[in-house]
Amino acid sequence: MILEARRLVFRYDAAASAALDGVDLTLDAGELLAVVGPNGSGKTTLLRVLLGALEPGQGEVLLLQRPLTTWDRRELARTVGVVVQREEAAFPLRVREAAMMGRYAHMGPLGAPGARDEAAVARALSRCDVTGLAGRWVGTLSGGEWQRVRLARALAQEPRALVLDEPTANLDLAHEMELFELAAHLARADGLAALVVTHHLNLAARYADRLVVLHRGQVAAAGPPPDVMRRDVLEPVFGWPIEVGHWRETPQFIPLKRSESA
Amino acid sequence: MKWLALGGAAVLALLGAVAVGPAGLSTDTATVAIIRDLRVPRALLAFLVGGSLAVTGAGLQALVRNPLADPYLLGLSGGAGLGAVGAIALHLTSPWVLPASAFVGALAAIVVVYRLGVVTGAVLDTRVLLLAGVVVGAFAAAMMGAIMAVSSAAELRNAFVWLLGGFASASWQTVTVFAAYAAVPVTLIYVTARPLDLLTLGEEPATYLGADVERTKRTVYVAASLLTAAAVAVSGTIGFVGLVVPHAVRLLWGHLHRTLLPAAFLLGGTLLVLADALARTLFAPVELPVGVVTAFVGVPVFVLLLRRWPR
Amino acid sequence: MGVTLTLPRGEGVSVLRLSLFGTSLAIALAACATREPPPADRLVDDLGHPVALAGPARRIVSLSPSTTELLFAIGAGGSVVGRTRWCDFPPEATSVPSVGDGLNPNLELVLSQKPDLVLFYASAANQGVITRLDGLGLAAASVRLDRLDDVPRVARMLGRLTGAAARADALAARFAAELDSARAAGGAATRPGGDQRTQRVALVSWDNPPIIIGAGSFLTDLIELAGAHNVFDDVARSSAQTGIEAIAARDPDMLLVLGEGIPAFAGRPEWQVVPAVRRRHFVAVQGSEFERPGFRSLEAVRTLRAALSRGPVR
Repeated sequence: MILEARRLVFRYDAAASAALDGVDLTLDAGELLAVVGPNGSGKTTLLRVLLGALEPGQGEVLLLQRPLTTWDRRELARTVGVVVQREEAAFPLRVREAAMMGRYAHMGPLGAPGARDEAAVARALSRCDVTGLAGRWVGTLSGGEWQRVRLARALAQEPRALVLDEPTANLDLAHEMELFELAAHLARADGLAALVVTHHLNLAARYADRLVVLHRGQVAAAGPPPDVMRRDVLEPVFGWPIEVGHWRETPQFIPLKRSESA
Repeated sequence: MKWLALGGAAVLALLGAVAVGPAGLSTDTATVAIIRDLRVPRALLAFLVGGSLAVTGAGLQALVRNPLADPYLLGLSGGAGLGAVGAIALHLTSPWVLPASAFVGALAAIVVVYRLGVVTGAVLDTRVLLLAGVVVGAFAAAMMGAIMAVSSAAELRNAFVWLLGGFASASWQTVTVFAAYAAVPVTLIYVTARPLDLLTLGEEPATYLGADVERTKRTVYVAASLLTAAAVAVSGTIGFVGLVVPHAVRLLWGHLHRTLLPAAFLLGGTLLVLADALARTLFAPVELPVGVVTAFVGVPVFVLLLRRWPR
Repeated sequence: MGVTLTLPRGEGVSVLRLSLFGTSLAIALAACATREPPPADRLVDDLGHPVALAGPARRIVSLSPSTTELLFAIGAGGSVVGRTRWCDFPPEATSVPSVGDGLNPNLELVLSQKPDLVLFYASAANQGVITRLDGLGLAAASVRLDRLDDVPRVARMLGRLTGAAARADALAARFAAELDSARAAGGAATRPGGDQRTQRVALVSWDNPPIIIGAGSFLTDLIELAGAHNVFDDVARSSAQTGIEAIAARDPDMLLVLGEGIPAFAGRPEWQVVPAVRRRHFVAVQGSEFERPGFRSLEAVRTLRAALSRGPVR
């Protein structure tokens, strides 16, 4: 068990209702977990609490069986690699410099990057197929390339777990698919624990081992795709009539047109 | 190699500055005394102040994630000016009054801007910090105007000349005090080089990459402010060094602070030594305020840099 | 740069009314002029502009302390209805209402004294205000009074502007004559110990940054007439910022300061490289006669000469 969250409750100041209201979650090595749900269901809040950026009002998070509060920032960064939804560097950087920042949690305050650091970065760049971009300015990259560079940076941290927040927002189809392929591959082949927050229910169903569906701060359903991708689960959550179809035994959800719904 | 060139330039600038001046260069006792007791400390002080301003500029640029930041962004020059003008208006005439009151004024500005910049949860919001700095600076300028209008002290005119910046009061005493004082904040900023790199990515990514963002912001803010306050106390407000030098260094050394900060220190020091030498010699015996020379050189250089900014 | 004319709306005084007032005043003055002998020719001020006065000025606002002092000296003090807050001599001048600063003055205060003539210090900074006054039909004159040689000329001009030409001309002639004879007499100020060489001095008016007085100031005139030599007389301006090194390199025998006693900066480490500072060779004089040129300047020369002969202050 890499990550475990128990009965998380979180309320933003002066909010009428809790953003997270009793959420449980587990994440194991080698699995890809997708967290899905409509806007405002608490996905981003959950992420921040899981990563220690926010402190829950109730409940706790355990990373490698230790409470998250006992981890210091650098230790955490050596264990969990995060790719946030949107990132804009204030100053121009080259790809290899950006990627090397993933190693900072491993380096002392002032020394130059060592052989190990260089090797980790090279490996990460190659895993994400961005080695050829190493000399490019980050500002000249396309959305997909920048996404993969940030993923490489997260991998350079040599983490046990990967957390990706809406990694496919603003990506075109090819890049979207590539990213899911990569995330799934990293989980399976390298034994990373991968958590992906996404809007893409169908892709999540096809790539993820398990899904967690959030609705108004609570877990509406959790489990392998067949358990979760059901009309009676998803319709109340997304508030729209749907049908569940199948593609090679993977359930896929199909939102219905007005004319189509009974 | 770039570092050798920079180091060489620094040494040459220092030697050149020590070699020029109204008393010339010779071995008679009077000239030697002038060189030893005036020119050398003056050149050293200009170097230290230039380096400090450049490092401060670079640190603040990272802190507020804005390439246009300079050491006086956060209301410091306003506070210092108000302190100096206020003291003169109160007819305090001791020679150390100007530096001391400028320093106290700058400290007051630091405290006020910091308090304004801290939002709920003891988090330093850099956007609020920026606005607070502008507001405090504007308020200080208004107060200075009011004092000027009301006060009968004829020396106020001279307070303004002092504010324009210069190393006229440099002595071995000033150099040692400043060097000892500045070593601490400069080192503090340098040690935060890696977290500063991370900060340029944004506060959230920086946190997830292992930076203690709140501590980094606090440390850089306090160190940069204390450094600037001392620089202003010792030599008035000298502009452009803190803004332009980090950018010149970025173009040549990149944006990683581990190399950016020391290079900025060397380049800033070199430039200010040269600027002071020019200020002293261009229209000898009349001296220009150093801030005028740095602006004169700084503006076209800045325009050149803007055009080469890579995207 | 112009000065914005702000008038209190509450009193219902509008710019239009004021210009009507100004115009009617000018007409009235012109009418008065038929009763008094007109000036022989149109007077031109120190910047070459003609002064639009039809007759002697009776309500003068003087925006320069040296001008105020001269006006009182030529007997026209009764016509001064406004002065700057820096005009402090003679003592009678302080009972005249103050209109604020001399450079870029508060036009409302100036006009509230209902002047027929406003005297400015000759400076480009005042051009905007002068233009406004022209527009309102009020006479304005710029006065350049920086050096001792200016004093007789300005006194004569003020005499003609105020109808006190006879007295002014006499005083001016006497001053010019005394000035000439003082120059002819020459002679170094005697130094303590009977040394006959001319003393080399520098007048330091501020220490951080060091500001010295140059050839463009009447103070240098005073120094020369007192039998000493200003080591910075190659600086054309009246004052300039310099460095301690320049002062040390020129090595004046004495440092002259305006004030009392040894100045505070004498103890600063960086100043010790100047021999005169190290030896505490300071001469201090004070008084408003050292702040501006005027008829008192020759007396100031005597004071200075005596101080130089006495030697360093203790």
